[in-house]
Amino acid sequence: MKSLFLSLTVVAVATLAGCGKSDTTSNTAAAPASTAPAAPAQRPELKVAIDPTYEPFTFKTPDGKPTGFDVDIAEALCAEIQRQCVYVEQVWDSMIPGLQAKKYDVIVSSMSITEDRLKVVDFTDKYYNTPSRIVVKSDTPFTDIASLKGKKIGVLKGSTQEKYAMGELRPAGVSIVPYEAQDQVYLDIKSGRLDGTVADSVEVTGGFLSKPEGQGYGFVGPVLNDVKYYGSGVGIALRQGETQLKDELNAAIKAIRSNGTYDTVSKKYFDFDVYGD
Amino acid sequence: MLSGYFLAILQGALLTVGVSLGALALAIVLGLIGASAKLSGRPIPVALATVYTTLVRGIPELVLMLLVFYGGTIGLNHLLEMAGSRRTVDINPFLAGVITIGFIYGAYMTETFRGAILAIPKGQMEAAWAFGMGRTRTFLRITAPQMVRYALPGFTNNWLVLIKATALVSLIGLQEMTYLAKQASAATREPFTFFLFAAALFLVYTSVSLWALRWLDRRFSLGVRRGHA
Repeated sequence: MKSLFLSLTVVAVATLAGCGKSDTTSNTAAAPASTAPAAPAQRPELKVAIDPTYEPFTFKTPDGKPTGFDVDIAEALCAEIQRQCVYVEQVWDSMIPGLQAKKYDVIVSSMSITEDRLKVVDFTDKYYNTPSRIVVKSDTPFTDIASLKGKKIGVLKGSTQEKYAMGELRPAGVSIVPYEAQDQVYLDIKSGRLDGTVADSVEVTGGFLSKPEGQGYGFVGPVLNDVKYYGSGVGIALRQGETQLKDELNAAIKAIRSNGTYDTVSKKYFDFDVYGD
Repeated sequence: MLSGYFLAILQGALLTVGVSLGALALAIVLGLIGASAKLSGRPIPVALATVYTTLVRGIPELVLMLLVFYGGTIGLNHLLEMAGSRRTVDINPFLAGVITIGFIYGAYMTETFRGAILAIPKGQMEAAWAFGMGRTRTFLRITAPQMVRYALPGFTNNWLVLIKATALVSLIGLQEMTYLAKQASAATREPFTFFLFAAALFLVYTSVSLWALRWLDRRFSLGVRRGHA
């Protein structure tokens, strides 16, 4: 395979060199190049970082293949910009350091665009934006957040939901407990140490509400999507200064939004519009 | 249908064994160098070894790993850019894992070995010198065999902690079994099944190594009569 690429490159270089020499040789030399459809395949691979621990957005099938909404979107975008996606699995904690160390080119792993992250990395436009919700026992009387006073709410450490909970719920007298992982929050609700959680509505539906231990729990209050806490959605992270790649990806997002690819992918995983408004 | 996930975790276990054995070898070498530096009595080696053990034992492994691997790569990339190269450094994560963990546990080994050497009666070494043995021969024939016996309890502790520390190498992009268990539990939403499996694998590994270390301990205590407990 490698030698095939190499010989193709040699041919291409020879062709280009031939073009420069004179008009008469360029005609004959350009002919084989135009018949070879390999030209777009020679764009370098796009290394895409994912943390496949976030079903249904990024996870692995039993035979070890990365899959999910994020991965399908990445595939669609790669097809659009005519580069091949190569996936690099990376733990969430070292996601941004790995990007800066050039282990990969982009992060397509449900990363929300936030002020703090924008200080160190750049983002494309959003490719989805699912709102967060508060989840407590369904029989909890609720008029506004003040009615949750005295309750214990678990959140994912370092998440946008934690920021919201610290900024809005804690001043209202709710006690907030941050956890390393969202499934630990569910385990602690089950064991009775927590009254509820603030979480992404898709995540909490798949991971908790639709399961036996989520029986008797439900959403309360409005849909939460305050830009101050939640940012402007989920985007593709890339190193600062990579404007060309950013522009290409933004154009590709627009393209798959308009040509129906996005909707096909979205319908595969969700029964509502994940793009948001 | 779930067997694929178990298989992946088993493969991760092989990586855990590889990283931990590699790191152990490096830690032993660094530990011996560190211990002899500390015991040399010469100011510069003593100072260097003290800085090493103080810094490394005082900083959380997770922080060190991020600093060494990502800090190192980012630094090298900057250097390359300044030199006008468009290439980027790609450090092999397996090697990076072995080196980082070996470097960290070398500091613990230094202290274990230093204590073990100090526990050997000074007269033993003096007798060897009196017989005209050189430094190397004294170390190999007199110090090392006795040191092993004194070092083994502390060494065993370090080794068990080192094995578990390999769970951190997922930070630098290695698919070790804890991270694979996490992936499987996230995909299936069955955390206990896969984490218990990974825990059992760790237990098998530590049990086998404890058995081997107990054999070593008996071997190196042949000339010693133990009090009945």
